[in-house]
Amino acid sequence: MRLLRAETVKLGTVATNLWLLLGTAGGMVALGATVTATVHIDQCTSPAECFEDTTRLGLSGVHLGQILVIVLAVLCVSGEHDTGMIRTTFAAAPRRLRVFAAKAAVVTGAALAAGALAVAGSIALARPILRHNGFAHLPAPAEGPSLRAAVGTVLYLGLIAVLSLGLAALVRDTAVAITAAVGLLYLFPIVSQFVDSDLIRTYGPLSAGLAVQATVGLDHARIGPWAGLAVLAGWAATFALAGAARFVLSDP
Amino acid sequence: MNSFVRLLRAEWTKFRSVRRWVITAVAAAVVSAVASTAFATLSSTDANDYPNYIDQFHFVHQSMAGDGSVVARVASLSAGNDGARAGLMVKQQAVSGSPYAAVYVAPAHGVRLESNFGAATSGGAGGAPTWLRLTRTGSAIAADESADGTVWTRVGVVPMDRLPTTVEIGLFVSSPTESVMEQQFGSTHRESTPTLATATFDHVALTPRSTADWRSDDIVMAPVQSEPTQPGSMTESDGTVTVAGSGDITYVVIGDDDVVLTALDGLLLGLVMVVVLAVLTISSELRRGLIRTTFTASPRRGRALLAKAVVVAAVSFVVGLVGALASYGLARPQLARNGFAAPNYPVLSLTDPTMLRVVVGAGLLLALVGVLGVALGALLRRGAAAITLMLLVFLLPTVFDTALPLDVARWIGRSTPVAGLAILQTRSLWNTATTPWAGLGVLAAYATVVLVLAVWRIRRRDA
Repeated sequence: MRLLRAETVKLGTVATNLWLLLGTAGGMVALGATVTATVHIDQCTSPAECFEDTTRLGLSGVHLGQILVIVLAVLCVSGEHDTGMIRTTFAAAPRRLRVFAAKAAVVTGAALAAGALAVAGSIALARPILRHNGFAHLPAPAEGPSLRAAVGTVLYLGLIAVLSLGLAALVRDTAVAITAAVGLLYLFPIVSQFVDSDLIRTYGPLSAGLAVQATVGLDHARIGPWAGLAVLAGWAATFALAGAARFVLSDP
Repeated sequence: MNSFVRLLRAEWTKFRSVRRWVITAVAAAVVSAVASTAFATLSSTDANDYPNYIDQFHFVHQSMAGDGSVVARVASLSAGNDGARAGLMVKQQAVSGSPYAAVYVAPAHGVRLESNFGAATSGGAGGAPTWLRLTRTGSAIAADESADGTVWTRVGVVPMDRLPTTVEIGLFVSSPTESVMEQQFGSTHRESTPTLATATFDHVALTPRSTADWRSDDIVMAPVQSEPTQPGSMTESDGTVTVAGSGDITYVVIGDDDVVLTALDGLLLGLVMVVVLAVLTISSELRRGLIRTTFTASPRRGRALLAKAVVVAAVSFVVGLVGALASYGLARPQLARNGFAAPNYPVLSLTDPTMLRVVVGAGLLLALVGVLGVALGALLRRGAAAITLMLLVFLLPTVFDTALPLDVARWIGRSTPVAGLAILQTRSLWNTATTPWAGLGVLAAYATVVLVLAVWRIRRRDA
């Protein structure tokens, strides 16, 4: 419990972290609104035959939000390695696994909080924009698939935080960890634009995790919403375990 | 000038004496090539399984044994579009894809003679009414045109080897399908609208004379290769034959991949590594305070930063050049084995001007990315922030490319730093955002502006 408080204080007293959290929420809402504003009902074959996933569109700001979550989670670990602060931490709390768990809990909690705020804001802003652009029949936000997409997006950001934290503990270098995390997420979708492989398209952490945002066309989705999120959880767990192992076993 | 050379040498010494950086630079080229090759093994195409032609039209024909000719006046050609054609044809069989020779009037080209989906020979300006004549003599097909039916001008003669004794001869009309690629909501689809042209022919005559009935057929391709067409028709009254037809007769290239781009896709990983390298060379110096030593040794700060940018650019250029050469050398043969081969995907040699542009362009691209990285690192002074921003700018558009409406995606591909990647493209496709050098120019402009800002800031502020 004291460890949790210590990590919360560390996170909360660095101005950059607060800006990052604020940026996550703000950037996500802004990007979501911008993307939403580019679509119009006229682009559908006919208003009745519009199968556009408007819920997912409104939540597309997650692409910006997750980058800031990555930076936050990475800095939380590698920042201490950079400055040597980690030695002080270990002197005060010699049980390293608990330190790592506390860090993970605090960063994930912060990401979830910022994510919840961002998702709520995105949905609140997307609806009037969509209505203005002619989409009359929007699904209720607190209903079935839409609710799953909203909650799933928040959980997605939490998992991204865990993944990045693990990566940072593994490589201990801010620049390398950020690049590796962003690369890991975007490598798969970029490669799948050139390479026609369902394996790459389905099980990459980004596309699998964001499958949870789908609200239409689920019967021909490559992977189910929760199954996709579970795949991302697998990626996150792998990196968290590897990171924890290095964090505990190898001296800074 | 001499002092700048000394600065360059100093920055080069700094760079090469940090083992990590040298390893990263070498790794960037190696990773590019390895990734390109690995991705190449996963890409395949069956483009070469399809015939390289479209052969669909309406054919009004009779069988003709041995030598002979057909004459007709194209009185009018209406509707359809600019690619519509009306004229005479000799065809081995009334089956799509069989050998043919045709002389026709086309609104866009005038009178033309063409055979077997090859290059056309142009005649006069055409315009209805125009008299046309197509004559078979053994294995040669001769085409003539005339304004009045008495004075004839030769359009050309084409050889048609292995033509059987009996061939189909007659009138044809075609009008190409209009296709628009649409991109919306993350999916692309082709919107194809068939068009129908109607032509009237009169003074139709066969030599030797024939009393057989004209047969009227839509020549269409197998469904998997065809484009949608409208059914054609033929009506005859008072010696005037009215023929309506839809389709096109032309050579086509199957497949719309830019195979050079596919062969070099691993270069994107090299680009990411160059971003990290470039940002760290300046941000770590700022962070560790080494920059104060640098500025003590060289009080003209702007020039010190410029020297660093030049060194990073030179290293990145070599990384890009070597990465592109190795990628193409390893990935292209693999892609050729996976179906990306002639005729649809001819393998360009490295001495081809296009490939020279791409390979040197890859070097320039990474050099500019390096300059932008150094400049942004100096401007933001924080490695994490600069790297994140650079990755966002270069990776997000690539991912979002197909998810955005086409005009938005093209605007991003044309106006943001990612435009620089256009230097690697070798085909102009429906969604191509910009031309190679214009794209690289945009990236160069961004790099210059950020570098100027960085110089301004580093001179103005304490290190």
